[in-house]
Amino acid sequence: MEESNTPPGGTTPAGENPYTQWYEVQPGDTLWKIAKEHYGDGNLYTEIFKANQDTLSDPDKIKVGQKLRIP
Amino acid sequence: MKHRSLFTGFLSMVLAALVLAGCANQMEPAKKAIADIEAAISAAGADASQYIPDQLQAVTGQLADLKAKFDQKDYKGVLAAAPALLTQAQGLAGAASSAKQAAEEAARAAALEALNAEWASLSGALPAQVAAIQSRVDILSKSKKLPANLDQATFDSVQAGLTEAKGLWDQANAAQASGNVEAAVAAARQVKEKADAAMAALGMTAG
Repeated sequence: MEESNTPPGGTTPAGENPYTQWYEVQPGDTLWKIAKEHYGDGNLYTEIFKANQDTLSDPDKIKVGQKLRIP
Repeated sequence: MKHRSLFTGFLSMVLAALVLAGCANQMEPAKKAIADIEAAISAAGADASQYIPDQLQAVTGQLADLKAKFDQKDYKGVLAAAPALLTQAQGLAGAASSAKQAAEEAARAAALEALNAEWASLSGALPAQVAAIQSRVDILSKSKKLPANLDQATFDSVQAGLTEAKGLWDQANAAQASGNVEAAVAAARQVKEKADAAMAALGMTAG
């Protein structure tokens, strides 16, 4: 589960921290799994959900290929 | 008739002797004039060749002409041209000193400009980089177990490095506020080094 600082579209949006880390959702991913991978603790998925509320309305609904901020 | 011839011969010899004496009288002053010019050029030193090479070349070229005149025994010509050339030669040291000073000031200004540009770049990027690291450290501090690619010792080291980086960043800003851009950039470079190391240890990408 590799992070990058390349935002969706490749250009850092205005007001976005250029050092924000991004992760592209892979088949079979859940926020819990992503949190477990990056933080060691799946219960911290809420941190990822909070950081992506501009694109996520439900933590259970993420799409393959979607780019998520990993704060 | 014989007396007139003898007199004419004697007069010629006297005139020749007078001409020779006159030349001999001018030779030493001409020699000294050339030596004075050479001494003035020498006094300008290496700075002249480094900072005012064209001016130096003009003077040494004229000196070569003067020496050629001397070799041709044109002492009068040497003495006529020498004062103006001596003035030029004596001006070399001052001109070289002024040109050196101007070059040094330009170098200082260029160095300061480069430091200001580096500061602008670092001060624009570092707060965001440190904030991104702090965010990750804060979340990892809540984790019951660190991720597989991060052990406790490395995480402790990242936290210590982040604390140091923030302290250095305060120092950098204080130095900048007091006008010491050199110290500000030196501290900011250390912040950048620590921030890059922290990001690498956390598996974050700096760009």
